[in-house]
Amino acid sequence: MNKGYYWLIIALSIPAFLWLVPTLWMVSLSFQPNEVLARTTSTTFFGLIPLPFTAENYSALFAFGQTPWWFLNSVIVAVGMTLGVLAVSTTAGYALARLEFPFKKMIVVICLIGLMVPEQAVFIPLYTMFADFGWHNSYHALILPRMAVPIGVFLMMQFFQAIPKDIEEAARLDGVGWLKIFWYVMLPLARPAMMTLAILTFLYAWNDYLWPLVSAQQRDYFTITLGLASIQSNFAQSEGLGRVMASGVIASLPVVILFLIFQRYVVQAMTVGGSKG
Amino acid sequence: MREGRKAYLSQTQAAWVLLTPFLATYALFLIYPFFRGIWISLHDWNLLAVAFNPDAKEFVGLRNYERVMWGRNITWGFASPVLQALGLLGLVAAAYLLRTNRLGRLNVIALAVVSAALVFLPGFHPGEGGRWYDRRFWPTVGNTILFVAWAVPGVTISAMVLAAALNRETKAMGALRTLFFLSQVLSVTVVTLIWQIMFSPRQGLIANVMEVFGASPINWLTDEKFAMAAIVIATVWWSLGIAMILFLAGLQDISKDIYEAAALDNAKGIKAFWYITLPNLRRTITLVVVLQIILHFQVFGQSHLMTQGGPNDTTQVLVRYIYQTGFRDSELGRASAMAVFLFLIMGLFSVVQFIVGREKS
Repeated sequence: MNKGYYWLIIALSIPAFLWLVPTLWMVSLSFQPNEVLARTTSTTFFGLIPLPFTAENYSALFAFGQTPWWFLNSVIVAVGMTLGVLAVSTTAGYALARLEFPFKKMIVVICLIGLMVPEQAVFIPLYTMFADFGWHNSYHALILPRMAVPIGVFLMMQFFQAIPKDIEEAARLDGVGWLKIFWYVMLPLARPAMMTLAILTFLYAWNDYLWPLVSAQQRDYFTITLGLASIQSNFAQSEGLGRVMASGVIASLPVVILFLIFQRYVVQAMTVGGSKG
Repeated sequence: MREGRKAYLSQTQAAWVLLTPFLATYALFLIYPFFRGIWISLHDWNLLAVAFNPDAKEFVGLRNYERVMWGRNITWGFASPVLQALGLLGLVAAAYLLRTNRLGRLNVIALAVVSAALVFLPGFHPGEGGRWYDRRFWPTVGNTILFVAWAVPGVTISAMVLAAALNRETKAMGALRTLFFLSQVLSVTVVTLIWQIMFSPRQGLIANVMEVFGASPINWLTDEKFAMAAIVIATVWWSLGIAMILFLAGLQDISKDIYEAAALDNAKGIKAFWYITLPNLRRTITLVVVLQIILHFQVFGQSHLMTQGGPNDTTQVLVRYIYQTGFRDSELGRASAMAVFLFLIMGLFSVVQFIVGREKS
């Protein structure tokens, strides 16, 4: 490592710090008393250091207000959506990658076309459909539309295509049925791809805004992302800056923890998600 | 079908058993809504009226498209000389590049198409005594394009420079990458929450820092000059990570030998970046740009939550207009016509993305 390398690190630390500042500020504000924040947000070093310190915003958040409930809704929706997407994507992905059957090419093409349809282009008809069924304000209304997005199928299909054929053939010679091969042989091999897809879906579910906004009109069915939007649109009447920021921190905690633990998978998942819809 | 002693599903049967769950949800929640959206766009369809009485919709053919996109006495001419001149310049550049074969055929074609659109489309304007039926639609599309035109180069250039600087496998570099990627995992509502306060002229960090230097605070979100800049800044901060990762992947593909050879010719640092890195990243750049265009054309949350489309509609964007037309004004027919318009633009770029992605692999 030469001298230039250390200069580069130092030079890069400045933008990196600036990049961190907004997040840091949110966390720091959430640990300051509302009375102080009402006067000024820059008590200690522009408010980036939480002095005077208090954890009251968090205890207040859990004592009253709907944030814990919204958090729970988000967990239910995100876990439900993740399991649902995994179920339909692994099965369809396997069938399209490894089995031969009539109309296969056509189905692949039809699914490819579906990749081009953005959520924003179908949310109105979906809204009227779900209204006809009387499904709005429910968990399945929040979960189902994402299960129809073919990106997971393609992710799994590409993964299964890369597995050598002879593993399957050995099992076929032993007289094992296709469904059993899928369940006992292929699925265990697919764990890394499933992990990527699970994280992609979980992040999407946790962070999605537009569909919950139109589908969940009762506050009881808000996800945390939607709840946070409703808090910030009436700041003035809200419970004070510190508590709003504490809600923001709580809303970000699961995805940030997920990111820090499974960094490689998260980066991979988001890159796949970003590059294919 | 029987094979040996046990009854098995044939390959075809097994395939359909495995495919049915996905195909059913796909047909019901994506294909059907897509066509239903087109169907709705052909009706005068009031959300509330139809909710009470399903027969309250009326088939109007393409009227909604006309009411959204057209007007009375629309003529064509050089109505926005700057944009149209830019388009002409683009066409000339495309012709030149095609002859010198500098940029790759696909890029040239894309440039030519965009330039032609720039010459042609802004030329429409209401003639004497005429007006657009919907005064807000085209300005909204313009705002969306403006947002894309700022956010995409902003993200692409900063991500590329960062990736080039961070392209070493050391612990410190890894930590820095993590820092830059972190904001990417946050939800749009957290991002807007943070930046709303950051930009606040009274409580905001930016105002507080500016005060130290004796500058008077800017009303970022309520000043027509700064509102768009504010949501672009928040967006660049939010969505730099993926672009950076794509560039890092692209950089991995450039062989180290080229740099070593160039170093012998005294091409290092910025020179090496300009003459080696940039040309070799051409495909990645195209990919990132197309991806970002698709992503940012669908901008909604930043505008909806930070500026509410204001001040004076300067940050009103297409998806927010669709949302408002549908769910505030209950005009589902017109909103659907706009959604079809959005889909067509997205579809165009998706096709480009598909071609570019194919070329890459």
